[in-house]
Amino acid sequence: MDYQLNEDQAALVAAVQAILRDHDSVPQSARLDFCHFNGDLQHLLSEGGFLDAGRDLGPLEAALVVFEAARAPVLVEAGASALVVPQVLPGEGLAGPVALVTGDDLGKAHRNLPIARTALVDLGDDVAVVELAPGDVVPVESILAYPYGRFAVPPDLSRARRLAGAGPALRQWWRVALATEFAGAAEAATVFTVDYVKQRHVFGKPVGTFQAVQHRLAQCHQIAMGVRYLAFRAAWSGQARDADIAVCYAQAHAQKLIFDLHQFNGAMGVTNEHLLHFWTYRLRALQAEAGGAHGAALRIAGHLWGGGPALRAAEV
Amino acid sequence: MNMEFGWKPEQEEYRRRIRQALDDLLPADWYEKWVPQSYACDENVEFSRQFCAGLAERGLLVRHWPKEFGGEGGEDWEQFILAEEMKGAGEPRGGQYMNVNWIGPTLMRHGSEAQRAEHLPRLARGDTVWCQGFSEPGAGTDLAALRTRAERRGDVYVINGSKIWTSYARRADFCFLLARTGTGRKEISVFLLPMNTPGVSVTSFPGLTKDGHLNEVFFSDVQVPVTARVGAEGAGWQIITDALSYERVGVPRYHVGLAIIDHAIEQLKAEGRYDDPVMQARAGLVVAKFEAARMLTYLVVDQRVKRLPATTDANVARVTALDAVNDLMNFLADFVPDCLAGGHPLLEEYYRINVPAGITAGTYELQLDLIAQRGLGLPRG
Repeated sequence: MDYQLNEDQAALVAAVQAILRDHDSVPQSARLDFCHFNGDLQHLLSEGGFLDAGRDLGPLEAALVVFEAARAPVLVEAGASALVVPQVLPGEGLAGPVALVTGDDLGKAHRNLPIARTALVDLGDDVAVVELAPGDVVPVESILAYPYGRFAVPPDLSRARRLAGAGPALRQWWRVALATEFAGAAEAATVFTVDYVKQRHVFGKPVGTFQAVQHRLAQCHQIAMGVRYLAFRAAWSGQARDADIAVCYAQAHAQKLIFDLHQFNGAMGVTNEHLLHFWTYRLRALQAEAGGAHGAALRIAGHLWGGGPALRAAEV
Repeated sequence: MNMEFGWKPEQEEYRRRIRQALDDLLPADWYEKWVPQSYACDENVEFSRQFCAGLAERGLLVRHWPKEFGGEGGEDWEQFILAEEMKGAGEPRGGQYMNVNWIGPTLMRHGSEAQRAEHLPRLARGDTVWCQGFSEPGAGTDLAALRTRAERRGDVYVINGSKIWTSYARRADFCFLLARTGTGRKEISVFLLPMNTPGVSVTSFPGLTKDGHLNEVFFSDVQVPVTARVGAEGAGWQIITDALSYERVGVPRYHVGLAIIDHAIEQLKAEGRYDDPVMQARAGLVVAKFEAARMLTYLVVDQRVKRLPATTDANVARVTALDAVNDLMNFLADFVPDCLAGGHPLLEEYYRINVPAGITAGTYELQLDLIAQRGLGLPRG
């Protein structure tokens, strides 16, 4: 048991942080947007090999990269590229960004699909690899802080490359990636809000002096920390149970985080020019993905005490 | 060193030795009879003398203490692995977990040579019971408001006042006592008081927790020699701050909680009520919360192992554990309600011992205050 990063891990995190520091500002032209994908930053992280950390160093190192990237207000696609692809396609790379798509919902809009060059489609037992060309995806409008889009025409999966038996690994690492992104966004939103309530005055004193605010912000901090270490453990252990635990704890707390953090940013948090929504509406987007908290909780019960009809439903 | 979340082979071996000791030392009806009646009741406290002596003979009671004081200089993880296994088994050490965790280490640091010589060997042997004389009717979370007074008269102090919520007091040999020795708010001293000293009396009262925890201790012109004072007069606040820092990791509540939910699920299966997806999902979420508490507790232990300065991460871990405990208590009340009315005795004991979980050792709200102000840097109101 050791929570301290070793030299290589610390150097990796420092390098990612340095790149993010130089590129994570939302440009003035995008300050009123619901999300801002930074393609240059994506390219830098990809070319720098940071999104290959899962293949070159290991899943925990990949999670460290994903966590750091998720703290930035600008968006890069790291979770699928760094944590999922190396597990379902070991030894191979895929053209990124990568979108993760539930096969049963092909007609719906999917997270990151408008920016993706490849989609991994969960078909249950198998995974289909769909290469995307310009025009394949139609963006949809959303207040969620990821780009969402749907296929212009549902892809012909019979002609797509099929990864036999990769479905369980895809879903497990999707959950690890999701929890890790959630942890980064939750921490960043909490830090942002703590800073705001120190500056913003009401009734002649900072908002952050009120105990009702302090306690709930302390709980937001607590939740973000819990998700972070559960996600890191899930990446380290490679156990499906740990992935379910991490994602369950994260998604079950989305409601509290989003409500409290918006409360303490007041009306400013409703405006797009305030940065808060870049993180909180990522949390909202992740809240129900890959089965949601209810499904994750059922799977945990199945891991520990055996399944019944409820578990089988949650596994699909 | 590498960030990783597993156990070393030697730590697993240590855990195996502890489990073997539990198998050897606990009576056959331990879980049926002893655990449900509370680890603080007289019978269990007396049993702890025999049990802890057995642990000591196996070199497992104070292994993490320095060799000069009867330990083997083991790492702090060993203390925590011991705590996990003991809590998971219903705490057969009774109140002696305090001896091991903070009374002994506090005496090592602040005790006189004579105090060390008198007490440390007994603590390491495992046959001495202590109680903690901190809380008073008007001083719980705000400990500095305590009113029990120790007045110096020549070579003795004369103590008058009372303590409350004093677990194990009926059977304790000694009290680790805080008393006021000056007029300033923090002019407090620590005394090592034999409980058989004339003028000390104990009464018990009923409550939501089981027998043994709810005691009141009265001090009526109790005389203790000056040599029973730990450290300098008025140094008690610093000593107690140090003492509690040894406890900053807190109790491994996840270990017990995860065992208890297993018992609840066993009962639900036996009654044919397991295939309820609402119940299963609630149970899964309880597990996720305890696992979060586990990860954050291990974070704090790791910081202590590395001798890093104390942070509010310990408060974060405690709050996370309390959330999980509260969830589990509600799970029991929702799905196994008979546990509070003649049902599974282990579930009842778990529920009742945790009724004050958010109050003891610094309230839930105090933990949040500390996280907000010291951890997040929010201004005081």
